[in-house]
Amino acid sequence: MATDIVRAMAQRGLLWPVLLVGLALVLPSWISNAGALKWTLWLCYGILALSLTLVWGVAGIFSFGQNAFFGIGAYAYAVAALNFYPSTGETLSALLIAACAAALFAAALGYVMFYGRVGDVYLAIVTLSFTLILYTVMSSTAGPEFRIGVAQLGGFNGMPSLPGIAMGGTELNIKALFAFVACAGAALYALVGFLVSGKYGEVLAGLRENETRMELLGYDVRLLKLLIFTLSAALAGVGGALFAAWGTFVNPAVFSLPQAALVAIWVMVGGRGSLAGAFVGVGTVQWVCDKADAIIAQQTPLVLGVILLIVVMVFPGGIVPTLRRLFQRISPKLMSRTVAGAASANDHLTMPAALVSTPSVRGTLAARDVGKRFGGVTVLDALSIEWGSEPIHIIVGPNGAGKSTLFKLLTGQLAATRGSIEFNNTAITHLPSFERARRGLGIKLQVPSVFLGLTVEQNVRIARMAPRHNRSAKASVETVLAAVALLPQRQTIAANLSHGEQQWLEIALLIAQNPSMMLFDEPAAGMTQEERRKTVELLRRLSEQHTIVVVEHDMAFVRALAAPIVMLYQGGIFKRGSFDELSADADVRAIYLGRKRAA
Amino acid sequence: MDTAVVVILSALTSIAILLLTSLGLAVVFGLMRIVNMAHGEFLMIGAFATTTLVRSGAMPLWMAVLSAAAFCALIGVVVEVAFIRPLHGRRLIDTLLATFGLSLVMYQIAVDIFGTASPGIDAPPGWLQLGRYSVSYYSLALPFIAVVVTLLLYLLFKSTRYGLLARAAAQDAEMASALGVEVRRVNLYTFVLGCALAGLGGALLSPVVAVSPGVGQSYIGQAFMTVVTGGPAFLLGTLSASALLGGVANVISQFSTNMWGLTGLLLVAAVLVRVLPRGLSGNWSRQL
Repeated sequence: MATDIVRAMAQRGLLWPVLLVGLALVLPSWISNAGALKWTLWLCYGILALSLTLVWGVAGIFSFGQNAFFGIGAYAYAVAALNFYPSTGETLSALLIAACAAALFAAALGYVMFYGRVGDVYLAIVTLSFTLILYTVMSSTAGPEFRIGVAQLGGFNGMPSLPGIAMGGTELNIKALFAFVACAGAALYALVGFLVSGKYGEVLAGLRENETRMELLGYDVRLLKLLIFTLSAALAGVGGALFAAWGTFVNPAVFSLPQAALVAIWVMVGGRGSLAGAFVGVGTVQWVCDKADAIIAQQTPLVLGVILLIVVMVFPGGIVPTLRRLFQRISPKLMSRTVAGAASANDHLTMPAALVSTPSVRGTLAARDVGKRFGGVTVLDALSIEWGSEPIHIIVGPNGAGKSTLFKLLTGQLAATRGSIEFNNTAITHLPSFERARRGLGIKLQVPSVFLGLTVEQNVRIARMAPRHNRSAKASVETVLAAVALLPQRQTIAANLSHGEQQWLEIALLIAQNPSMMLFDEPAAGMTQEERRKTVELLRRLSEQHTIVVVEHDMAFVRALAAPIVMLYQGGIFKRGSFDELSADADVRAIYLGRKRAA
Repeated sequence: MDTAVVVILSALTSIAILLLTSLGLAVVFGLMRIVNMAHGEFLMIGAFATTTLVRSGAMPLWMAVLSAAAFCALIGVVVEVAFIRPLHGRRLIDTLLATFGLSLVMYQIAVDIFGTASPGIDAPPGWLQLGRYSVSYYSLALPFIAVVVTLLLYLLFKSTRYGLLARAAAQDAEMASALGVEVRRVNLYTFVLGCALAGLGGALLSPVVAVSPGVGQSYIGQAFMTVVTGGPAFLLGTLSASALLGGVANVISQFSTNMWGLTGLLLVAAVLVRVLPRGLSGNWSRQL
């Protein structure tokens, strides 16, 4: 019983914080004031590093802005504490204000970046520029006019004589402050640990692994990123406030370039993906810097630069993940397990009685007069097409006919230059991808788009959790995986699946998403004869409840589906008909065989 | 009237400075997708090389400027071979962090050699008298130099063999190397060109700013914003972004303080990024 509780807590990352709190309450009586001061500082830095681990290691957004939010938190604490402490006798409100101020700045910056869809490298540059410009701005606030309430911003010299953490009119002494910061750190660690280990953790991992797939499943990637960015900024803000309270002082150096580098170094050294790594990284790097300072004084940037170079060039994984791998090698039981005695994937394809308990409404999709131009090139020209009258529709056409572009217009990955698109009789022409997905439009892309770094089971769980407008029933993870015969590999990392299996996994994501309309872009590409046969079987099964549109080159596959065919050529509809009609057509044959059409 | 002319001339000078400090970054990022975090330190090295050469009396300013650029190119060779090349194929963040580490090392070495403040050099003498105002010839010359440098780069990428190969490697490195382009060598040239441009920018700046080891860091934030808002056409995009951001920042600073000028630059850049996520040149059909 007791061990079960401990194990459950360990799984959700709650064990360390409890130990830390215990330590924080016992330790102060044993250590010196100087030790407590140093450790408090490291904990403040640890919270800052934790915020970068959350946004970068977990959600995959590299931000150089964490120390900007740390600095904003520090300044906000300073301003709030100087203004309120004399009257209220406490500075806990200032701590809260600091978190809010950092979150507010992050929300504004994040809105611009994520809703502007700034790419990852640009994001690093924009956040760094933000930090550097704050440095310059805060350095030039020396005049008496730069005052908030009674607090002078003080320009380059910063703001001295701040109140420390205080409750009931008295400030905490050094050791009490250490205990307070340790408890705060533990609480924040627990919060982050809880967040990243449950289903939110899986959503964040999906964000890190494959944004496009998340969007096509119906997740609002922009909003998710904005939320996690803002939350991590609030964390950094608390770290900064505690830092200001620790030193009773803040100056623009918190926004400087070496400080920005330092945060990245801590996280790199500790290990990007590990929460504990944040604190381990701070401890290691600060210890090395202290030792180095004793040998060659005043060379901190040099030491930091060399550490960063070594870590990037030689140990890109960091300390904690390296140790974990070592540990796993010693004790292989901790390695990811595979279900024993399971049959290999290709042995059989078991079809469960029903893939979903209630049939979803068959979707209809209509493109009217749509066109797409890239610069001067017209890829699609005034194309009108309707689907939903039959369970399966097929599109064929030579390369460059505009098939994939048409799919991208339908799912919203590209915006149409002209025309309108209707899904289930409502216009979706201007809706973003995720909104179309939520209404029940799913797509399997040509190149398998799954979450490569996650297990098969996690892949399907993320798809199941995707937000949808109609609350139709969801198939269980087992049913979905059984349908594509991937049940035996449920614990396998998707990257280790064969190409054909990855195609199947993506189809599984579609089944879990349960859209009323399913688009398949060359589902049989790279499959063996046998796999192709099974895919036909699966598509037919799915077409009992969903409308299916398939783009395919493989004529045997098309024939086996036995559905009405539309042939695209040079951005327009060239022929419609059954397989036999099209294959008998001389013009169609000429185009597919690359001969010039008879005039 | 005089005031208007002086305001415009001053804005042109800031635009030129922004352009000269951004071009190297833009070339390396535009063609190699590498964020050279040590760009600011290359600016700083160019500036220190110039002041050192001029103060020692070894050569006149123009020769010192060219030598500084050449010196930065040499350092660029070493950096590319030792740090950029081994990271080829890794995530973009890795080269960014590696060059960041390098920038810290270079900064500290400069502090150890030159101290935190150092004597500067004078701009070439001569003033243009405009009513109550006087404008130095040197600050008038900077816009011309900036335009000439941009033009030369345009010609380099438009009509030389290297330029064509570099653009090909940037578009599709794998295809380019399949067609026989030695991408490694092209990338080396591109990186070195970027470093030389940074050195040139720093050298040209040295007579008009206080040269210190931190001088690069005070320009790099703006340079980054310029490259981001410039977008994929790395020459003309950067030119237009410099004109816009530099113009706005300078005019605001002239009527209030430097702080509001920088804040204005940040806000304009933020609005631009929101409205045109791919930068000013995002929808242009040109590549340069």
